[in-house]
Amino acid sequence: MSLTFLIILALTAAITFLVVMAAVSLVIHKNAVARRQRIQRRLTEEYAVALTEMLMTELPSLPATAPSSARFRQYESLLEPIKKQLQSLSRRRRRIHRTALLEVMLDYAQDLTGEAADRVVYAAYSLDYVQELIAELKSRQWYSRAQAARDLGVIGAKRAIGGLTAALEDDHPDVRFQAIQALIVLVGADALRTIFRVGGRLSTWNMMGLSVIVLRFKEDVVPHLIEGLYAADQSFVLFCIEMLAEIGFVSAVEPLRRIATDYPNVVVRAKAIEALGRLGDERAEPLLLKNASNPYPVMRLRALQALRKVGSPAALPVLEERLREGPLEEKIAAARAMARTGLEGWTVLERMRKEEGTLAAAAAVQVLEELSIGGSA
Amino acid sequence: MTAVTVLQFLFDTYFVFVVLYFLIVNITYFILLWLSFREIVNYMHRNLFTDFRSVVQSEITPPVSILAPAYNEEQTIVESVKSLLKLAYGEYEVIVINDGSKDGTLARMIGQFDLFPSKRVYVEHIPTQAVRGIYRSRQIAYQNLIVVDKENGGKADALNVGINAAQFAHVLSIDADSILEDDALQKVMKPFLEDDTVVAAGGIVRIANGCEIVNGRVVHVGLSKKLLPIFQVVEYFRAFLSGRMGWQAVNGLLIISGAFGMFKRAAVIDVGGYRHDTVGEDMELVVRLHRTMRERRIPYRVVFVPDPVCWTEAPESVSILSRQRNRWHRGLLDVLWMHRTMLFNEKFGVIGSAAMPYFLFVELLGPVFEFFGYVTLAMLWWMGAVNVPMTILFFIVALFYGVMFSVGAVLLEEISFRRYPNPKHLALLLSVGVLENFGYRQLTMLWRIKAFWDYARGKKGWGSMQRTGFARPAAGTM
Repeated sequence: MSLTFLIILALTAAITFLVVMAAVSLVIHKNAVARRQRIQRRLTEEYAVALTEMLMTELPSLPATAPSSARFRQYESLLEPIKKQLQSLSRRRRRIHRTALLEVMLDYAQDLTGEAADRVVYAAYSLDYVQELIAELKSRQWYSRAQAARDLGVIGAKRAIGGLTAALEDDHPDVRFQAIQALIVLVGADALRTIFRVGGRLSTWNMMGLSVIVLRFKEDVVPHLIEGLYAADQSFVLFCIEMLAEIGFVSAVEPLRRIATDYPNVVVRAKAIEALGRLGDERAEPLLLKNASNPYPVMRLRALQALRKVGSPAALPVLEERLREGPLEEKIAAARAMARTGLEGWTVLERMRKEEGTLAAAAAVQVLEELSIGGSA
Repeated sequence: MTAVTVLQFLFDTYFVFVVLYFLIVNITYFILLWLSFREIVNYMHRNLFTDFRSVVQSEITPPVSILAPAYNEEQTIVESVKSLLKLAYGEYEVIVINDGSKDGTLARMIGQFDLFPSKRVYVEHIPTQAVRGIYRSRQIAYQNLIVVDKENGGKADALNVGINAAQFAHVLSIDADSILEDDALQKVMKPFLEDDTVVAAGGIVRIANGCEIVNGRVVHVGLSKKLLPIFQVVEYFRAFLSGRMGWQAVNGLLIISGAFGMFKRAAVIDVGGYRHDTVGEDMELVVRLHRTMRERRIPYRVVFVPDPVCWTEAPESVSILSRQRNRWHRGLLDVLWMHRTMLFNEKFGVIGSAAMPYFLFVELLGPVFEFFGYVTLAMLWWMGAVNVPMTILFFIVALFYGVMFSVGAVLLEEISFRRYPNPKHLALLLSVGVLENFGYRQLTMLWRIKAFWDYARGKKGWGSMQRTGFARPAAGTM
């Protein structure tokens, strides 16, 4: 019993110690966070003032023939006070100050353009931030690599293009995605060519993020997207199809038809079929009609959904056949496509609704109701 | 050998068993806490690089069907539905399933949302009670609202009707009286979009008592002035932040709360939907998903996302809380019994060899062992055989372990989401972590033990759960 007693005693001591440590660490953490935030706020304000001064200072104009180095010498003189201040600090404090300064620079870089932006970029190079961030792209911690990729893009450090291109093949999806975004910022839409060629798999989540960026370029990006239809990674092919459908440029019809016919993977072919429908180009109708009877259910469904945008009365026999024979999803898609063809389609739907007790009639009734309330049909 | 000596031997043996059990349980808790810590830190890092705005802005965002079963929710239904219709997400539909309410739930919705009987096709992929009608709104603003009126069949049946009626590939099941944060849908959807093998994801459920709620939105997070809801806040921290987060790290998550869980619709239909014959239908579905996927050797993941928040009203009275805990425990017992062949079955990997044994020995039988501990102590006391210093020490150890895990859970909250920024709240939550060991814990133990008795008697009901509703002005807020 005495051994048990000793064990329990030891456990009590250990647990008491852990509880006290946990509670103390909680309080310390809360205070440390508050203190760090206070210091960070103060330093950020200080460096915001210093950086604003650097940006606002009028520089003597240089002749047009002056080399870039002359301009850089001027920028260097503006940076002198900041550099002097940093050099006067201990190593630990310098690190804290440099972090605050980088935050301010990143914040400014997002809003600046023209010569002011050049000054910030120069400052990032001169204060060794760019070199540090490029080195950080090889950090063991994925979030450090992702952060570095993002910061390099925000600062606009063109020297980082090589490192960022290498990061497109990083193991971590977030690093790859930050590298993609940074490259697009640095190079523009042309970066997509490299991204599609070497980029690692893109998750649907990252596709969503990239779609928002790509759509800003509108039709300028179409040639790159068409090129991307032949990307090595299938996720990029799917992404390019989606974007081409979204942008809706007519030159995409032929390449999409080729993908819908020839691509080895059925999911990609089905996506291309869907895209053709969204493009609304009537040249796609024969291909869509052919695929409405495809042995793959996903191809049939996508073709029927696409016919809702491009179907003509010529499609009615095929649509009626799918409305009668297909599974529910196909019935509804076929009924919606029929509704699109106008009076002839409505007549068929009205006829079908009378065949009470069948799923085809139910689908026809639902679509007619959608039409009457201005719903999704 | 006298009877007293035999009894003494039995008590000593039991005592050794209790100490061993205690050690194993607490080591498990430590492991879970550690796994949770790692997972939360990783989650926070990943969120640094996540721009949730793209979910709203992108055309690629997959649509979602939200399923909200409602039974006698006349008081709260309109406010709840309005709040669901305002979520920040791309395309989604809200399907409210009126489960044969006896009050004016349906009438209130028809009046408020200008509903008309729709002829939308309804296919019974999962067998359910009869559907009386499907309603849609004439108002453009409510075009994504669908109300299904059906015969009463219980929550599981109502959810199955919702799954049948849903038109999108992902379904989110929620309680109609819960409040989702604006971005909750974006956050709970993320794992599905990052990894095709995810079949189910649960979010965190937090206690809304004491929070300020305006127009169906939590605008200020606070704590109730009543002690009972605060006990539950700490309990929820432990259950969600340290329990579920830890289990999901090893793909061993067995519970996704019925109040907030996203599923791949096809996977749920494939396994036959929610079962009607258990009060633990939410856990049962997740266990069945695990079971089916592992039996078919299909790669899959069930994940917990600690950030998307669903606010719920916690019981403020002892009687309602006791019924809720009793029901949860009966549900757990039921599910473990239904899937008993998975226990210690290596075919089911971490589920059979770790998660289910944990739920059996710690969650289900824990109250029984604790209860017998108290009984044993009383008997020893009566026999004059209590080793007082040992007993006191044991209680202190048990107390500190309990406090340790409560503090750990509050710590996880503090380093991550900090929903309670007021230092007073933090102090109160820590104090409650200590206080709950004196009375509250014993009370919940008794309710859970009673669940065994009720289960043996064949009790299957939910018991009533009166809600006061979120629409009222926040009272008793700290």
